Amino acid sequence: MQSLLLITKKNVKLLLRAKGSALVIIFAPLLLILLLGLAYSTGTQLGLHLGIHAPTFSDDVNSFIKLLEDDGYTISTFETSIDPCIEEIKQGKIHSCIILPASLQVEGNTQKEVKFYVDPSRVNLVWAVQQAVESKFNFKSQEISESLTNNIFATLTSAKSGIATQKTSILDIKEKGNGVASSNEEVQKTLKSLDLEAPVTNPKTANITGDVANIKDKIGDARGAISSSPTMDPIEKEEIGDLLSNAESELNGAGIKELQAELQATKEKFSLIASAVRTSSTKLDKSTERIQNTIKALDEVEIGLTNIIEKLDAQKVTDSDVISAPLVSTIEQVGAQASFLNYLFPAILVLVIMFSSLLLGTTLVMMEKNSPAFLRNFFLPISKGTFIAATYLTTLIMISIEVIIILAISLFFLDEILTTLPSVALVLVITASVFAFLGMGVGYIFISEETGVLGSISLGSLFLFLSGILLPLEGLPLWLREMNQFNPFVIAEKLVREIFIFSTPLVDVLPELSVILGYAILLFLLIWFLETLVHKHLVHRFMKNHHRAHRQKDKQNKNDA
Amino acid sequence: MEVISLKDVTQRYKKVNILENVNLSIDQGDMVGVIGQSGSGKTTLLNLITGFIQPTNGEVIYYSKIHHEERSLTKNLNKIKKHMGFTPQHNSFYPKLTVMENLLHFGRLYDLDKNTLKDNIKNLLEFTQLSHHKTKLAEHLSGGMQKRLDISCSLVHKPKILVLDEPTADLDPILQKEILHLLQEVNDQGITVVFASHHLESIEKICNKVVIINDGRVHSCGSLDDVRAPFLKDHFRIKLPKGANKEHIIERLRGLPIKNIIQDRNGLIITPNHMEQTMTQLMEIIKDEGLQLNDLHFKKASLNEVFEKIVGGEE
Repeated sequence: MQSLLLITKKNVKLLLRAKGSALVIIFAPLLLILLLGLAYSTGTQLGLHLGIHAPTFSDDVNSFIKLLEDDGYTISTFETSIDPCIEEIKQGKIHSCIILPASLQVEGNTQKEVKFYVDPSRVNLVWAVQQAVESKFNFKSQEISESLTNNIFATLTSAKSGIATQKTSILDIKEKGNGVASSNEEVQKTLKSLDLEAPVTNPKTANITGDVANIKDKIGDARGAISSSPTMDPIEKEEIGDLLSNAESELNGAGIKELQAELQATKEKFSLIASAVRTSSTKLDKSTERIQNTIKALDEVEIGLTNIIEKLDAQKVTDSDVISAPLVSTIEQVGAQASFLNYLFPAILVLVIMFSSLLLGTTLVMMEKNSPAFLRNFFLPISKGTFIAATYLTTLIMISIEVIIILAISLFFLDEILTTLPSVALVLVITASVFAFLGMGVGYIFISEETGVLGSISLGSLFLFLSGILLPLEGLPLWLREMNQFNPFVIAEKLVREIFIFSTPLVDVLPELSVILGYAILLFLLIWFLETLVHKHLVHRFMKNHHRAHRQKDKQNKNDA
Repeated sequence: MEVISLKDVTQRYKKVNILENVNLSIDQGDMVGVIGQSGSGKTTLLNLITGFIQPTNGEVIYYSKIHHEERSLTKNLNKIKKHMGFTPQHNSFYPKLTVMENLLHFGRLYDLDKNTLKDNIKNLLEFTQLSHHKTKLAEHLSGGMQKRLDISCSLVHKPKILVLDEPTADLDPILQKEILHLLQEVNDQGITVVFASHHLESIEKICNKVVIINDGRVHSCGSLDDVRAPFLKDHFRIKLPKGANKEHIIERLRGLPIKNIIQDRNGLIITPNHMEQTMTQLMEIIKDEGLQLNDLHFKKASLNEVFEKIVGGEE
């Protein structure tokens, strides 16, 4: 146990006393965490740049734009077409393009459509962009939905008040109806109370009608027979006729008077009936008047109800789907539909190039520095530039082999890579140069190979973390985001993405290409300077050793004296 | 004919003079041994000669045989490098390359044409007895062979001057002899060899010129005899009796081929030019004048003794 502790203690001491390793092992992770902590410790929204196109920029469209601007989004408007905006997405200048309708107001049972364009190659950002913009968009949609619901409620309230008014009228009508009903009942009672039975008191009267009728019939028959007899004398016929008339007169005698009396009684009854009918008629007139009033009131109710119906009809948005979600969004991807591998490929490619170049650059310089032949190289009639170029060329050859392998394998999955291969290859060569020089720089700075490699990995990790591959760059504070635009990894990834995914011609990405080329040249000069420093450092170390030997000797001489 | 000279060269670091006011000249074909204690400034001197470091003061001059003119080493370093080979104290080749690959690599960097390089390497491999090991990885060679390869790498471009920093360090005595023998053979080919070593006996054997550095200063520089001269013990010490005519005796002695006569309390110390030749005549004078020969030293001081005396502060 003691041995274990002793060895551990020794290891820690050695680690800490080797300045390079102490720096890299202890301070590099701390530095990384510090930088990333500083970078991402922001509570602000994603610094998104949005492009908006609308047929007309009406007030509600502008209010939506203002809503976005108030939340810190940068907005560019495109009045003529959405295409320039899409081009800017490809160039990475704009994160999302939005096509808004001329007005966000919903006027029928049709939802308004809002179209988003996003760059699917920025896999980690696309959802963040969607989420961020959609939250604002949903807010607006909710606002419109609320407005629609309020309209419906206002209409309903107005209908309610109209119906309440009509209810009073209806009650009034009801009352009037009741009056008519009671009046009618009275009429009914009156009419029911009328004696409509014929006064049949004499039983003879009851048969007289029949008898008279029979006699009259027989008289009629006799007259018929007489008048039709050809043999009978006309005088006889006349006599017989007189006789028949007398008979008839007889028939109309007593019986008839009785009958008349009865008829008189009947007449009186009818007179009573007539009086009752007149009374009823008056009452019915009143009822008619009431009914007419009721009809009038009903007309008013009808008008009132028609108004309510009109108001309700005026509410054009009645579809529950439209009310709950008046705006619908659709998301379009910029560029051709492709697999995730397509979108990730540029990042993967640049990532591999970055780490390989950094590590190769460092390792080659370290190998040379720590090689026994290092000192001999100073006595060779070779310029520094040749040595730097040789290390660079070696890195480039190794990287090229790697890239060829990667691209060859990728061809199985990504056929379209062939068309953009020359441009992508050029960008990759320049990128590899930048990172190779950086790696070489790290190699010149550190002493041991292990610390150099750790330094390279740390540097690469820093570039990676601040590249937007793992965490969206848009989450960084503005000043750091602006600085990070000069991150060579970011530039390289952007270039490869634009060329590979959007087939952007090299001419269009010339500014970024120039920046990264500038880096390569600057770093070459820096390496030149570092190479000079290494020589000076070696001389310094050599002189220091001598200086130490001299001081020790002086000390010894003093002690001897 | 001079090849390299150092004129008033001072190398300073943090206000301490590592080397001070060095004046030194090396002739073509010289075999120069640089000796001195550890930290005395030997390696600094070699590094100044090779141009690895530049002097704080003074100048290192290289004589161009072609142009017959002096050239500052600092200003013409790249040109002069082609005529100079340097073998550092520790092996300085690529262990993961074979013997042949190492020689080819360094040879090509000296811009030699293919045939010349091929011939050079062939001769070198034979000369350093590495022909049978040319396909071996350098790291697989023995210590002695590695040192031979290292020297070969410095000779592959046929330099006029070969500078070596302690080529025999860390080698066993047999290997040391082997390497020194190799250096002698190199020198025999007309190459000027300058090397630092603690192996004083060997330097005494093979070098025609020695540079002794003590405490940052060139104490002695020149042929072995020149260096040894102040420490020669080939002298007579004569005791003069009381009342002897000292002036008369000195006058007689001056007639002999002697370098120096020093008077001390007891008598005279006489250093002849040539001990054997002067001996008979001197003995005659001693007999004639009735003098007593107190001390007679024939022995030449070894380089080791000279060095010890210099380091010990005795002269």
